[in-house]
Amino acid sequence: MPTMEVDGKKVSWEGRKMILQACLDNGVELPHYCYHQGLSIVASCRICLVEVENPDPKDPGKLVKIPKLMPACQTPAVDGMKVHSLSPKAAANQKAVLEFLLLNHPLDCPVCDQAGECYLQDYSFRYGRAQSRFEEDKAKKPKKDIGKHVLLYSDRCIMCTRCVRFTREISGTGELGVFGRGHKEEIDVFPGQSLDNPLSGNVIDICPVGALLDKDFLFTQRVWFLKKTPSISPFSSGGENIFIEHNQGRVYRIKPRFHKDINQWWISDDIRYGWNFIHNNRQKRISVRGSADCASWEYSLGRLEQMFRKAAAEKGAGSTVLLLSPFDSTEEMFLAAKWIRGIDSQARLILNPPKIEGRDQVFRNPATGAVTYIIRAEKAPNRRGAEKIIAHFGEPPAGRTDSLDELADRAKNGNISAALVLVDPIAHNDSRLGEVFADLENLVTLSTRPDGLVGRAALALPVCTWAEKSGVFENCEGRIQAFERAVAPLEETRSAGEVFWDLLSQAGTYNAAAVRRLMVQAGLAEYADVSIPQREKEVELMQFVEL
Amino acid sequence: MAFAGPVLLKRIPADPAQRKLHRWADYVATGGYEGFQKARSIPPEDVIKLVIESGLRGRGGAGFPCGTKWTFLPKDVHPRYLAVNFDESEPGTFKDRYLIDHDPHVLLEGIAIAAYANRITTSYIYIRGEYHRQAKVLEEAIAEAYAHGVFGGKHPGTDIIHNCYVHRGAGAYICGEETGLLESLEGKRGWPRIKPPFPAVAGAFAKPTIINNVETLACLPHIMLNGAAWFKSMGTPSSAGPKLFGVSGHVHKPGVFENELGVKMSALIEKHAGGVKGGKYKAAIPGGVSMGILGTDQYDAELDFDIGKKYNVLGLGTAGVIVMNDQTDLVLALRNIVRFFAHESCGQCTPCREGTAWMHKILNRIAAGFGKPRDFDLLMEVALSMGAMPGTTICGLADGANWAVRTFLQKFPEEFKARLKSPQVQGVNLAPVAATV
Ligand SMILES: Cc1cc2nc3c(=O)[nH]c(=O)nc-3n(C[C@H](O)[C@H](O)[C@H](O)COP(=O)(O)O)c2cc1C
Ligand code: SF4
Ligand code: SF4
Ligand code: FES
Repeated sequence: MPTMEVDGKKVSWEGRKMILQACLDNGVELPHYCYHQGLSIVASCRICLVEVENPDPKDPGKLVKIPKLMPACQTPAVDGMKVHSLSPKAAANQKAVLEFLLLNHPLDCPVCDQAGECYLQDYSFRYGRAQSRFEEDKAKKPKKDIGKHVLLYSDRCIMCTRCVRFTREISGTGELGVFGRGHKEEIDVFPGQSLDNPLSGNVIDICPVGALLDKDFLFTQRVWFLKKTPSISPFSSGGENIFIEHNQGRVYRIKPRFHKDINQWWISDDIRYGWNFIHNNRQKRISVRGSADCASWEYSLGRLEQMFRKAAAEKGAGSTVLLLSPFDSTEEMFLAAKWIRGIDSQARLILNPPKIEGRDQVFRNPATGAVTYIIRAEKAPNRRGAEKIIAHFGEPPAGRTDSLDELADRAKNGNISAALVLVDPIAHNDSRLGEVFADLENLVTLSTRPDGLVGRAALALPVCTWAEKSGVFENCEGRIQAFERAVAPLEETRSAGEVFWDLLSQAGTYNAAAVRRLMVQAGLAEYADVSIPQREKEVELMQFVEL
Repeated sequence: MAFAGPVLLKRIPADPAQRKLHRWADYVATGGYEGFQKARSIPPEDVIKLVIESGLRGRGGAGFPCGTKWTFLPKDVHPRYLAVNFDESEPGTFKDRYLIDHDPHVLLEGIAIAAYANRITTSYIYIRGEYHRQAKVLEEAIAEAYAHGVFGGKHPGTDIIHNCYVHRGAGAYICGEETGLLESLEGKRGWPRIKPPFPAVAGAFAKPTIINNVETLACLPHIMLNGAAWFKSMGTPSSAGPKLFGVSGHVHKPGVFENELGVKMSALIEKHAGGVKGGKYKAAIPGGVSMGILGTDQYDAELDFDIGKKYNVLGLGTAGVIVMNDQTDLVLALRNIVRFFAHESCGQCTPCREGTAWMHKILNRIAAGFGKPRDFDLLMEVALSMGAMPGTTICGLADGANWAVRTFLQKFPEEFKARLKSPQVQGVNLAPVAATV
């Protein structure tokens, strides 16, 4: 593997890489603004300039210094090369670039959302000078509302053009451009347009400073209070990797988490802004039909068990139904199926089919044709997990299909004794399910929201959303990915997994990893090596040097 | 050294009353397109060899050897393009315009020769947006050349048809930088490109491209006809050939004059431009404001490609000499120059975008009488940090701004320092300021 030395550290890489990328891959930090691995290279911010010594082609033992400073983002790494980013010349350039960038910057960090995750702040601290020598009037540039989700504070912009390149190379929509010239130039949307493509929120993430801000997140939290929990998108079958960012039990925003084969650095706006159901419209307490009082979990679980045993005994095997939701984790569905089959060995396992919106929406780089992002048509995270559990517990007997239609027929004919429904957290099929179970006495729901089927249920149990539990989802390509619990369950809610764990009288408290071990014992070997995503390292506290 | 008489200006007499636009018939009657005939009588490789031998260096500013540049084209990759740089926006530069105003076919003949030598598919003449008249002149001349088979035919022995078009810019200095020009030619924002790839490998529309200045190409017919030795008999060993010099500023007779490279600036000013006007010589810009300034003791500087090393300027540039007499306020002159760079910086690179505007603001303050002693070092440092070493920025505009500021300060420190005293000491009238605060 070719190797070079960067400020005394060894850096190796494979294939053709630029110095900066090779360093970043090795955890060696070099300052950079305009460079983003997912975008084309423009080498315009000039903060990454380094001194380079190349091996002499005639005498490989000797190094020849390139007289100019070289942009690390645009200079290919060469085996045996030496790179200096801390040399006086490189440091002088970093200092100069930072001073230039701050000349007209309003220095309004106290009221800026980006503070705490701003590369101007970070690099100023590390490479900048303490005082500005600029005593002229600062240029004033306006604040602009450029799209459904995005605000542009032009005066904080450092003209790295990442946002412009995103709309040209990733979303392919090209709404943004650079207008004006020289120090008068500004980022803006083209006349008559606005930034509202389905990927628009990503420009906020890649803006290295506080110029592009999220209307949804604006002034809601200081970012240093936020904790990031790795998770998986709960709205789509793509399995997009995300972080849930939260503080004191409240979620504030969703950010993309890099996955090289799925979503890379991006997520769609649906995923970014669709999480309101965590805190809104929740069923918080158990409700029992015909009773205004709150029931306890102990009572309710007993009641549930009793109801199903009685129903199965009266109407015979195969008369009970478990309706699975493609929004629940595979572990939960496994436990639910195991429980109901323990009561009714032929209990019917049916999947409430996920919503399909048109076709997969494929984004491409207009110049290269390469696929940059796919918005999946299927709007649920775990259909494949549900299907696997259903298959594991037995195919439907010949001649019968386990579909909602068939279920409706059987319900109409009075062939269903009891149904347990895991309700989708996002309203879908509500009215259809309402029809199917219209006359069913023994209806039990596990739901995050108080509407839909819940009103008809004999027993309605409040469960938590994906943000309040952990487990795995299987995406449309068959990748099994784990997500972690970000916030504590709301009020009296429990995860569906916990409900069935207790019903099955398993020892200890519910946890997803323990269920996966049971699944492996039961022959579902692929759940043996699910890797748990790393939590973000706690930010190391900056070492303040005493002056 | 021997400069016998006009070469490039042979059809343009010094007396304005006798100047006229040479159309096809006039041009051919005075030996036009004979160089092209001659070129076509020898193999293309020999044309390139001859141009290399002649020592012709680029007249657009950088002085890069012309024939050598051509050899960078990758073998057998087609189509290839020739971009003719007629953006001519460097302040003090108006030589290409003068030539085309009267003798457009000399450029077209140069293009035809370069295209023949390099098997060019399409030549684009990128012309500055403000040059309306010249664009029209060229369009007409191109139509004549098409009618007479100079363009639109196949290069002998190939299937490559050579076409030639005029492409009008929209009035940005940066589109004269060769890769800014290519972007603009492709219909994009004129932002210079990062290199590699170099234009010879992937230029216009990602195809191999040569970029040459108008005057560079206009030398080719003469080289073809008279040979390399003749061309080298003019100028100095490192700077061969005749050269157009535009002289402006404080001279009695500003204009475009032809002489050989290496001519002393004093000779140019006195013999051709009628001497310094309104006072004594104090300073001069050798070739466009990007080059920096020649000091009072550098009046006799030889104007050739070695001028940079010898006289602490960036180079010869476009050889558009701007003369300043001893009445000139150099603070105001520099402010004007820096204003130009701040206005024309394309805005990509942080140091250039911010540095030029900052220096302009500092100079504005100094000009108003509110300079401070530390401004001298500050200006110098800002200038240095934006382009001291080539490579700090993507293109040469920042280097130009740096050289201008640096050499003004280095060569005239006292004049600047005198303006950095307190307003009262300088005798600035503070009344208008007091009225605004
Ligand atoms: C900021 C900038 C502006 C330039 N403007 C011009 C111009 O207007 N005309 C020109 O011929 N060359 C200009 N040049 C030089 C070109 O980049 C290039 O070197 C030249 O066109 C090459 O042609 P030549 O080799 O025939 O001289 C400029 C360079 C820079 C850095
Ligand atoms: S708005 Fe942000 S991403 Fe866009 S150019 Fe400015 S700093 Fe860069
Ligand atoms: S140096 Fe200036 S003009 Fe040249 S590319 Fe950079 S910003 Fe543009
Ligand atoms: S990161 Fe290299 S120039 Fe911006």
